[in-house]
Order: sequence, then structure tokens, then C-alpha cells
Amino acid sequence: MQTIEALLLEPVGCLAEFPSAPFHEIAVRLFGRKGKAISSASLTYWRLLNLIERADGPLDAGKKSIAESLEVEAVDAASIYEDVVPALAELKSMGIRLLVASSLSRRAASRFIERNSLAKFLSGVCTRDDAGGVKSAPLLNALGNASLPPEKTMFLTDTVEGIKVARGVGVHPILMMNDPDEAQRLAMHNPSGGVISLHEMPDFIRLLAAQNQRG
Amino acid sequence: MKKVSIYRPTTVDEALQILSRHGASASVYAGGTDLLVRLKNRLEQAPSYLVDIKKIDHLRYIKEDAQGGVEIGAATKLAELADSRLLQEKYPMFVEAIGKISSPELRNASTLGGDLLQEVWCQYLRGGYSCWRNGGYLCYGAIGDNSYYHSAMGGRLCYAVYPGDAATALIPFDARAKLATPQGEKELSIEQMVPGDMLVDGKIQSHVVRYNEILTSVVIPPPKPGVRASFEKLRPRGVWDFAMASLGISLQLRDKTIEDSRVVFGGISGKPYREKTVEAYLKGKTLNAELGEQAVSVALADAAPLKYNATKIDMAKGLLASGLARLNT
Repeated sequence: MQTIEALLLEPVGCLAEFPSAPFHEIAVRLFGRKGKAISSASLTYWRLLNLIERADGPLDAGKKSIAESLEVEAVDAASIYEDVVPALAELKSMGIRLLVASSLSRRAASRFIERNSLAKFLSGVCTRDDAGGVKSAPLLNALGNASLPPEKTMFLTDTVEGIKVARGVGVHPILMMNDPDEAQRLAMHNPSGGVISLHEMPDFIRLLAAQNQRG
Repeated sequence: MKKVSIYRPTTVDEALQILSRHGASASVYAGGTDLLVRLKNRLEQAPSYLVDIKKIDHLRYIKEDAQGGVEIGAATKLAELADSRLLQEKYPMFVEAIGKISSPELRNASTLGGDLLQEVWCQYLRGGYSCWRNGGYLCYGAIGDNSYYHSAMGGRLCYAVYPGDAATALIPFDARAKLATPQGEKELSIEQMVPGDMLVDGKIQSHVVRYNEILTSVVIPPPKPGVRASFEKLRPRGVWDFAMASLGISLQLRDKTIEDSRVVFGGISGKPYREKTVEAYLKGKTLNAELGEQAVSVALADAAPLKYNATKIDMAKGLLASGLARLNT
């Protein structure tokens, strides 16, 4: 793996513990999904993104407003992982560019960043509204806007979908191993790497730099 | 087995030159009980060049120094340490610990330096998984079966425990290590030499010894008056195995009052885990039958067990109680 210059961050699953219910509620109200909500917010979120992706055209104003309101509700109930702020501060001090590349709406992503005082660490924010799509669209948009070389960029994720999306746009999928059993299953999908906590990312990037320096 | 080239230098300087020439693809070879297994298992990180230091004759000795301490050559066999009358007389706890390392056969081959600087024995690494120490970027132990040989005290990319017993038993005596380096001799405390997962020369390893440095000896200071020490070890198989949890403890006593102590746990963390909270708690206390239970109540508050290894913390606390009880007899 090449020396890393940038990290793309999706708040859901890699920066904070979100509730799954609001994302499930969007799927029910906008796409007629039935069944009970599952406990994993990440899985619920990525399933919702699949529904949004498969929908005929963009959401109309009414649906967009419902989705945004429920996402903001999710953001307000989310609790940021305790290692996130110190890890982002260290990564920034190492010169790593940090960008939120999220399939959340602009309103929800902005709320998340503001609520957790993350703006000072970020060199860019790209949401589904900015990118005009979900999943790979925000990642591609972030790469393009910031002129990031994909092979020197990582995307943190805790779902199979996230791994596939990252691979699809040419960035390195890094598994956030939040749950050991789920992480075991996800490790079978060949992520480029995996960390237990965001606080390991600075060492990960230093190790890569040292290995590349050594040749 | 991975193909290797072997050098047999006869001096430390010659060995250092060879190591410097080959960089991280060379490694010191002495007892071979760790290194040869890594080669046999074709691990990515196994070296291509072995620098056999057994021909360097002044690396294998046990001698009393001028201050009344003992200096041990790094290539001294564990069996020789276990049989040493000098060590038995001065540091019986250390000899007891050495006697609990692996099996008699392996102690005949293994060296003190090898025990201190050995690679971790995580089953995923040794099984050839592409983990942090083997060319990959993920710790399988953190998400897989971590019941035996993984840290219950957090980790730094790799979650394997530091497996050696000698360090756990030497730190309570404030032992120091001497290293030969291209810049001259370097001295570190054992604690400084084995600080847990470190990024050294582009690799993750448990110690700070660089590719072109050689551990030459360990110096144990003279025993202090009033010191009592104990080594405890729990392992999956009683005959021989790595520690599920171990404890090296020393108390400096005036009558029954503890003036100073060292409390070092093995087998629960990526390094020999010095429990300074307990050391501070013990200071000024009277060694009695109740002290073990009281000390346990403040021990290992920073524990961060993985899914299957919380029991290691219980074991370590149990060893603390039994160690203090043993020192009270």
C-alpha cells in the first residue's frame, strides 16, 4: 500500500454510534419497507442507501424533507466515539487531509460536524446533495474536488457495501472493527486493512510511510 | 522452510557489520526456538539472512560483577540460568521463573536474549495470516479467538501479548540490558527495551532493538537488603506453555512495612505490564494476610479485555493475591 495522504470519513459507522431507527423510518416512509428495524445503524443506513440509489430519480421535495429531518434526528441522537477527536487532531497534525465523504444529506452532515466541533479538522465535506448521489458519488466528488490520488486515500467503513464502494472508486477500504463477530465476517471481503479504533490510524499511516521509505 | 543464508561471525563487531549490510532482511540467530519456527512457517517477516552469534564466545556467561550484581551473556542458555548456583543464591525468584519457561528440551536450546526479544506467539501470525506483523494490515486476534495469547489491556494495531517470562521476572530487580550498536554500547532498562508494540525499522515489534543492534548482556543489580520476590504463572497446560497470566513481584521490606515494590504482570498485555497503581498502593502498607485482597481491589483498573479474554484479568488479580500471600509466609 502506498503512503497515505487522505482519509475519507463516513460519519455513520466510523465516527459515531448512530441509532438505527431513524434510517429504518426513512426506508419505511419513503420506500414502503416492511419489517422491524435491526440494531445495526450501519447496515440499516447502507440498505437505505441502496433504496435511494435504486429509486427512480432524485427524491421530491416532500420526501427529501422527511429524509433530512429523520437524518438530523439520527445525528442528534448519535454519540461520537471518544477516540475520534484526538485521532483526527493527530492525523491532521501529521498532514493527513481529512474529508467527510458521506451519503447523508448536507443538512445532516453539517449538523453532525457542527454538533461535534469537527470542522477544524476537515479539509472538505462532500454529501449526497453535493455529489448528486449516494454511495460512490460522494467519494468520487471528494476525490475530484480535493484532487486526491485514490491510491493514497483510505475510506473507513464497517459494512460490505462500504468495502465494495471504496474498491469501486479505487480507494483503500479500511475496516472499522466495531463488532468482533461482524468484523470477522467482513474481513473475508478483503479490506485493505482494519482497525479496532480510530486512534490506531496515525500508527497505521506511519507504518505505511516507514515501510515505503524502507522500500 | 524459507531458504536462508547463514553467517557465522566470531566477533560482535563483525556481526554488527553483517546486520548493517543486510538491513531488516537479516536477523540474529542464537537458540533458534523462535526464529526457526518462523522460517519453517514461511512467515513474510522471517529473515533471509541469519547471523549466527553462537561462535561469539563472550556472549555466553554468568558472572558476578564488582558491585555484587550478576551479568549474564545474552546467548546463555535458559537451562544454564536454571542451574546456576550464583543466580539461585542471589535471585531465586528469577531462577524459578526461568524454570517455568517452556520445556527442559527447549530450555537447553533457548537463550536469555531470545526469550527477551522473541516474536509474539499469536496463532494467527504463526499460522501465516496476513496480519500486522506478517505483511498485512489487520489484527485477526482482536476479532477472532483471543482467549489465550491476546492482550486484555488494549493494543496498538497488534493485540498479541508479549510472551516472554524472563522480562517479567527481571523488571522487579531493575535489571538492565546492554546492546552493541554501530555507534557503540547502549544500555536500557528491561522495561525500556520491551515497551510493547513499537514501529521499529518499518516493522511492528515488541522491543526497540533495531535491525543492526545486538543484545549482548543483561545486568541484574545486587540484591537489596530486605527484598522478597515471587514469580507466579498460570498456563493452559501445566507442563509447559506460555503464560495466560504471570506475575513478577518484589517487595522491599523493613520489618513488615513495604518501603518499595515492583509489580509486573506478564501474559496479559503487549508488554510486561508494570502495575504502578498497585506499587503506589503498597508503599507504606504492612505485609499481612489481608493485603492481597486489598491490593487486588486497585489492580488493573485500565483493563480492556477483548471478547474472549476477560478471564486473564481475573487470573492476574488472583496471582497478585497469591503472590503477596506467598511473600507473607
